[in-house]
Amino acid sequence: MQNIRLIAMMFGLLAIGFTEPVWGWQRIPEIQAVLAGTEPRMAGVRLEVPAVTQDGSSVPVTVTVDAPMRADAYVEAIHLFATRNPSPELAEYTLHPLLGRASLSTRIRLDQSQAVVALARTSDGEWLGAVESVRVTVSGCLSRAGTYTSDNHMQVRVRVPDRLRTGQVGEVRTMIQHPMETGLREDASGRVIPANIIEELHVKWDDQPVLRARWHRAMAANPYLLFSIAPAQSGALSMRWTEDTGATAEYRAAIEVRP
Amino acid sequence: MFNQPISRRESIKRIAGFSAAAAAWSWPSIAIPGQGASGRVVVVGGGFGGATAAKYLKRMAPELAVTLVEPNTRYITCPFTNLYLGGIRSFESLWHSYDELRQRYDVEVIHELATDVDVDGHTVELASGTRLAWDRLILSPGIDIRWNELDGYDEAAAEKAPHAWKPGDQSRLLRQQLAGMKQGGTFVLVAPDNPFRCPPGPYERVSMVAHYLKNHNPSAKVLLLDAKDGFSKQGLFMQGWAEHYGDMIEWVSRSNDGTVIRVDADRLEVETEFGMIHAADVLNVVPPQKAGFIADRAGVTDASGWVPVRPDTFASALVDDVYVIGDATQAAPMPKSGFIASTQGKVAARAIAAELTGRVLLPEPSWANTCYSLIAPEHGISIVGVYEVYNGQLREVPDSGGVSPMGADPLFRQLEAEYARGWYAAITQDVWGTPAS
Repeated sequence: MQNIRLIAMMFGLLAIGFTEPVWGWQRIPEIQAVLAGTEPRMAGVRLEVPAVTQDGSSVPVTVTVDAPMRADAYVEAIHLFATRNPSPELAEYTLHPLLGRASLSTRIRLDQSQAVVALARTSDGEWLGAVESVRVTVSGCLSRAGTYTSDNHMQVRVRVPDRLRTGQVGEVRTMIQHPMETGLREDASGRVIPANIIEELHVKWDDQPVLRARWHRAMAANPYLLFSIAPAQSGALSMRWTEDTGATAEYRAAIEVRP
Repeated sequence: MFNQPISRRESIKRIAGFSAAAAAWSWPSIAIPGQGASGRVVVVGGGFGGATAAKYLKRMAPELAVTLVEPNTRYITCPFTNLYLGGIRSFESLWHSYDELRQRYDVEVIHELATDVDVDGHTVELASGTRLAWDRLILSPGIDIRWNELDGYDEAAAEKAPHAWKPGDQSRLLRQQLAGMKQGGTFVLVAPDNPFRCPPGPYERVSMVAHYLKNHNPSAKVLLLDAKDGFSKQGLFMQGWAEHYGDMIEWVSRSNDGTVIRVDADRLEVETEFGMIHAADVLNVVPPQKAGFIADRAGVTDASGWVPVRPDTFASALVDDVYVIGDATQAAPMPKSGFIASTQGKVAARAIAAELTGRVLLPEPSWANTCYSLIAPEHGISIVGVYEVYNGQLREVPDSGGVSPMGADPLFRQLEAEYARGWYAAITQDVWGTPAS
């Protein structure tokens, strides 16, 4: 018996050692569709995820692209994928040089241990990428109730700097209360809870769109996004979240920019 | 934190190790002829993990020379310090001595701080400059605080806003502050994101604080600011809080702006992620943590600040002949608990005894953990986990374990409180030989 177990473990190790995490993600159709035949350069993107997480329902992710954000050369898109989720797409972000820095922090859901992929497209059309694996465990001491309250549905929290110096990059934190129902969950009576998610966050600096986030169902509940802004003069930052029902939530804040 | 995928080289190394074991047909006892003669084991840290490992090494292989290095002459357990805070248990009842290890098990106990490890030379350096040689080293260093990771929270701040997450003077300070809090004041506890020592600990702590306040300061409030959206035994805790303390305890989750990003210990104020300022009369900050520093000195930690281990033996995944147990390890889904640290100590002791003596030791390791928490003196709840090695990684045995039922009657809760006390008496007797009181 022990021998059989041992052999099984050896094969298990082989599987873990050689198929996780870095190989195979290029063959995922959703990723192929985005890359459209181009080969990403696996450099220039820093993807920060925990190596081990005890809670797959809210895994922090930070993507930073090591590239300038100038009008003539910038990062125009960032895509996130989870390779072994029921649907691999997590989010697509469209960026504008006014952000000052191509760095985003968010939270995602991971159904199981798997690789997370970040792809970034620069304004000259080059794809950069990074892949990191996350081991998801469910600790017994961490079991949780797993229910969401709806008394503050689509309530928005935002933190924006009041004032910045010219050229300074400010940090903007945003969160919206939302269960991000995947459509894969059942309620107590066994009925499938229909999908219901925030699909988009659209950010403008005055009239200029500077960031558009498209979210899929594997984004964590209460979608969180940390991004940056580097305005040249005083103005207002406005944000609009759109639910798949068409319902929206808005927020607006002025930032004073001084030399 | 940056995550390194397992490298090809590391994978090959692991497979090679298992192949060697397979060839010997006696895994996990890999006999290495000629190396068993000296049989010297040094254990650093005399808590649940280290004291258990030292004792069980001598029980399994009395011929080994075992030295335990622990700066404190008596050990104070983290489990049940919340009961001391709540005024239902004396501080002295949490103290345990090393007499049994010395006298009955012939373990050499040195009360010094281990300051460095030379893994190539196989030595440990102590604060006095003494060097101890070892054939196998066990590190059970517990946690260290990541000072300043939470803006404004450094060692000086902890004197005003205690963490009390390593028992001792900090526990006493927090107890004094709680007892001296003004009538109607606010006790604020700041709880960290995972992973941290004792997942149910912050929630048992506010329960015991509320128990104390209910009797001595009934108009006081308890505010729990959390960097998480869920916690261990959440439903049971929240039901128990409502039952015993009404609306005295308020839990603010991460998605309700519970994440604290700055501490002002002089003003006893904290600032949350989205800019709320909360003022406290007593401020208890449970800060971000990492493996105890000696693990870093030995080179066994990874970029996360914790220690990756081989799950079948708790040998370091990075450094040969060094074993690491307890809260310092990355052993999820096992929690960072005293109970599981003690079990890991037995597993490591067994693996080392087998290696150094060449004997096959039975039985195969099995892992289980129970975390009891008290919501009130006669209201106990628990969670049980059972673990196994599967595909080379630790996992929970499917359909095992569980938590106390919701809505159980008072007798059930009272019995679990009694089991909690029984658990404490049993494990401290097992680890330190403390007679049950």
